[in-house]
Amino acid sequence: MIVVATNLTYFLAWGFLDPRNNYVGRRPPLSEDQVVQLLQPRNLSDTVSLLERWWNWFSGVIFRWDWGVSPVGQSVNDQVAYRMWVSAELVLGATILATVLGIALGVYTASRQYKIADRIGQATSIITMNINIVVAALGIVLLAIGFNNMVGTTVFFVTGSASPDVTGFFPIIIDALQHLILPTVALVIIGYAGTHFLQRSLLLDNINADYVRTARAKGLTKGQAIRKHALRTSLIPVATQVAFTIPTVFMGAILTESIFGWNGMGRYFLETIAKNDIHGTVAIAAFGAVLTAIGALLADIAVVVLDPRVRVS
Amino acid sequence: MTNPLLSVRDLKVSFPSETGTVDAVRGISFDLKAGRTLGIVGESGSGKSVTSLAIMGLLDENVRISGSITFDGQELLGKSDKQLSAIRGNGLAMIFQDPLSSLTPVFSIGDQLIEALTVHRKLSKRAAWARAVELLETVGLPNPERRMKSFPHEFSGGMRQRVVIAIAMANKPKLIIADEPTTALDVTIQAQILDLIAKAQSETGAAVIMITHDMGVVAKTADDVLVMYAGRPVEKAPVHELFHRTRMPYSIGLLGAIPRVDKAEKQPLVPVKGNPPLLINLPDACPFASRCPIAIDACHTREPDLVDVGNEKMGEHHAACIRSHEITDGGLIDGRRVFPLPDVSERALAGVPREDRPVTLEVRNMTKTFPLMKGAFLKRKLGEVHAIRGISFDIREGETMAIVGESGCGKTTTLLQIMDLVEQVDGDILIGGTSVADVRGGHAERTLRRDIQIVFQDPMGALDPRMTVADIIAEPLRAIGTKKAESETRVDELMDLVGLDPSHSNRFPSAFSGGQRQRIGIARALATNPKVVVLDEPVSALDVSIQAGVINLLDELKAKLGLSYLFVAHDLSVVRHIADRVAVMYLGAFVEQGSVNEIFEDPQHPYTQALLSAIPIPDPDIERTRERIVLTGDLASATDQSGGCSFASRCQLFKVLPPEDQARCLGEVPPLTGPENHRNACHFR
Ligand SMILES: Nc1ncnc2c1ncn2[C@@H]1O[C@H](COP(=O)(O)OP(=O)(O)OP(=O)(O)O)[C@@H](O)[C@H]1O
Ligand code: SF4
Ligand code: SF4
Ligand SMILES: [Mg+2]
Repeated sequence: MIVVATNLTYFLAWGFLDPRNNYVGRRPPLSEDQVVQLLQPRNLSDTVSLLERWWNWFSGVIFRWDWGVSPVGQSVNDQVAYRMWVSAELVLGATILATVLGIALGVYTASRQYKIADRIGQATSIITMNINIVVAALGIVLLAIGFNNMVGTTVFFVTGSASPDVTGFFPIIIDALQHLILPTVALVIIGYAGTHFLQRSLLLDNINADYVRTARAKGLTKGQAIRKHALRTSLIPVATQVAFTIPTVFMGAILTESIFGWNGMGRYFLETIAKNDIHGTVAIAAFGAVLTAIGALLADIAVVVLDPRVRVS
Repeated sequence: MTNPLLSVRDLKVSFPSETGTVDAVRGISFDLKAGRTLGIVGESGSGKSVTSLAIMGLLDENVRISGSITFDGQELLGKSDKQLSAIRGNGLAMIFQDPLSSLTPVFSIGDQLIEALTVHRKLSKRAAWARAVELLETVGLPNPERRMKSFPHEFSGGMRQRVVIAIAMANKPKLIIADEPTTALDVTIQAQILDLIAKAQSETGAAVIMITHDMGVVAKTADDVLVMYAGRPVEKAPVHELFHRTRMPYSIGLLGAIPRVDKAEKQPLVPVKGNPPLLINLPDACPFASRCPIAIDACHTREPDLVDVGNEKMGEHHAACIRSHEITDGGLIDGRRVFPLPDVSERALAGVPREDRPVTLEVRNMTKTFPLMKGAFLKRKLGEVHAIRGISFDIREGETMAIVGESGCGKTTTLLQIMDLVEQVDGDILIGGTSVADVRGGHAERTLRRDIQIVFQDPMGALDPRMTVADIIAEPLRAIGTKKAESETRVDELMDLVGLDPSHSNRFPSAFSGGQRQRIGIARALATNPKVVVLDEPVSALDVSIQAGVINLLDELKAKLGLSYLFVAHDLSVVRHIADRVAVMYLGAFVEQGSVNEIFEDPQHPYTQALLSAIPIPDPDIERTRERIVLTGDLASATDQSGGCSFASRCQLFKVLPPEDQARCLGEVPPLTGPENHRNACHFR
């Protein structure tokens, strides 16, 4: 699947992107030969047949794990290897936080159905779900800057993923967190509501189940019965959904990364498209496919962990 | 005199709802002493479950509860959920109706049982495990050690109910509330579970509240009985008193409406007409007045109190009826019946002997196997389920043939084979003499289908809620191409026939009660003037007082129209009442077949004997003195193909046979033998 999808993207990318455009309008203008000379060693010249280009690229990938180079000669491997972790830091943290927050809120509001807390929670989630990421990010940036000014030092960094001149284990961690907080909060704000609503409605379906009543009849308080018996069964579909949203979150990070000046995969995606970097684009697509596969795998694992019935059979 | 363990005083429960406040329980009081059993009976919606949930403190917070519930010296009302949780499952335990949904699907049986133990006392892991195994053993689960790790979906309904009982018994409660504990179970399993509850009671000395709508279960288990109607107790008395000296018209009606498995005479059942009132803004009048045949003006002016109508000799007996002092034993008032017997319609064919009537439906050697698949993606065929293994029967004009048996024995599959006109490999289905093998598609098939129609079990699910009643009834007519005007008159005619008001024909099914919906289903089945009507558990979803009316209707229609019924039911009392011939099915084969009286009076096959003896009879004197055969074990699975008698694993006769006879049971499939009106499939009967 991943292989097929990636190869398909390769051909699609050639359909839409043309590295030659990078040299159009250069001053002084480059001759046709010069352009070909620049592109050919990078396997990006359309003077070579598409099939041959493809084979060069594909064999490179499978035999040498070499994903090619950009039109300016940077190795895609290096770029991805570095940026992957930058994005992962952001996306994983945000996904986990949004999930935990969504589930917790779902449980809290479901156990207080139609009471004030439930209504406030619901209303807030409806609002945050509809906030645009750009708006959320800018709002947070403004707030953070205001806060920084108020306390007089830079507590939150509004750009970049790390400061270059920090050394030492703890300082690095603290520095990373200072950079991480704002974009994470932005992603969490727009991302948690989906989980909240799903968890709330699933739990409400289960709260009135007979087995929750049995659990209460045993001597569990209502809260205990809900947390232990109703939650477990309602978590199964939530876990599946969250695992499948990981790739979406990654792509949702595109804007966040640009706004906060992170050199992650999302920004890389924008850059490769702008620079007609075919190999980079394809590598990102492959990366997305891998993420989807990992998401599916995680979903399966979650189901197996949560639902012993699957384990038995 | 010892103090009562539980004492309920003027308990009232009301739910807020969109249409107004629902007064589900409107003042109920009783005392219950340790070791005694209180039976609470009443129709669906009469407030039985709400009462029990109020005692357990399991109602939602938005529910208004007033009155007093004292348990073991403590007032329960007003306690917080946390305080109550210390009592629930400890002193006070509950068994619920539907065992299939009352265990958490994702936790093992062992975990759920251990949780019940450890939530109330500190126990080491090992001690809790040992006690849990012991409990499973007490409730009669085979291989308890291994079962601890099983999950609920691996268990049958009866086994799950045993687990629920084990959970209830875990902390030796002083009071066990059982809310319809056996309603969802088969009779043979019901007998086991009721015995088990009695055992739990005698082992722990607990008091029991047995909530049920089955008068037979009450007669079997209760010491005292409380009859509820529209959220109020209307009669309260010791069990013998209640059954033999009934003083309240509703209770009399309830008892008169039950078909009896032990009585042969074909008297029509006495239905209680009408439906219970809605519990919103009830007027100050006897709530039963609109259905009561002896209501007088005074009944409409005030709701009667529950007063003592007993005498010195007989002890306490409470009834809520202003005319109860006029009512005498046997449900008589001024020497006449409170509920007059409905007219018995003479059967046109009653005089014609069976052999002279035409055969309307004949089934010869019907078989059906399902492949047994395993695996989610790659399905492998593991074997075959023999759902039906060669059954044969015929039904004649004006005759009712009933197939009885426990769930999963193949009754519904049999009906579906007939309704789908499935061609048989080595047998045949003949409808009115035409073999289904001869008609394939087109006109011939449509003509054949008019002759056979079906009525389903669930009156709610079987009718499309978006169609008007007229459309529903006319549907089969349209299918055969009847003209609109013609079908309209036919709909009115049919509604009249089944006792519905034809002017209601443009309403939607939701405007009708359960019993009325079942009448709609019957009207629809009769639309094409069929010869045979197939009825799949037509009354099992209805309350007894309503059920009686539907049964009478079926009887009447049969007599009027000369219909043949193929009737499938698990309730043997209903079968005895309605059927002429009966076949007892076990694991896809008939084990006994013949005329109803023969089989009910003189059952031969060990399974039939057990089945009949498992049915509780609504008379405490008979019920408590009769000999009973309690089968061990669950229904075996249809995949086991041993080549011997399929009943051997549960057979009570098998156990006492000498070894050489037992070998025959295990090695040789017993054929159905005997005279035409009474055959059985046992080697030794
Ligand atoms: N949560 C609720 N909200 C509103 N009304 C309710 C609720 N639970 C029960 N009722 C109403 O209370 C009345 C009594 O219901 P209850 O369940 O006690 O009847 P029951 O006697 O147990 O009937 P069944 O034989 O069907 O179990 C019914 O009219 C029902 O509709
Ligand atoms: S009080 Fe009147 S209406 Fe009510 S049960 Fe008695 S006779 Fe019937
Ligand atoms: S054949 Fe044997 S096992 Fe089967 S019913 Fe008769 S006695 Fe029981
Ligand atoms: Mg109930």
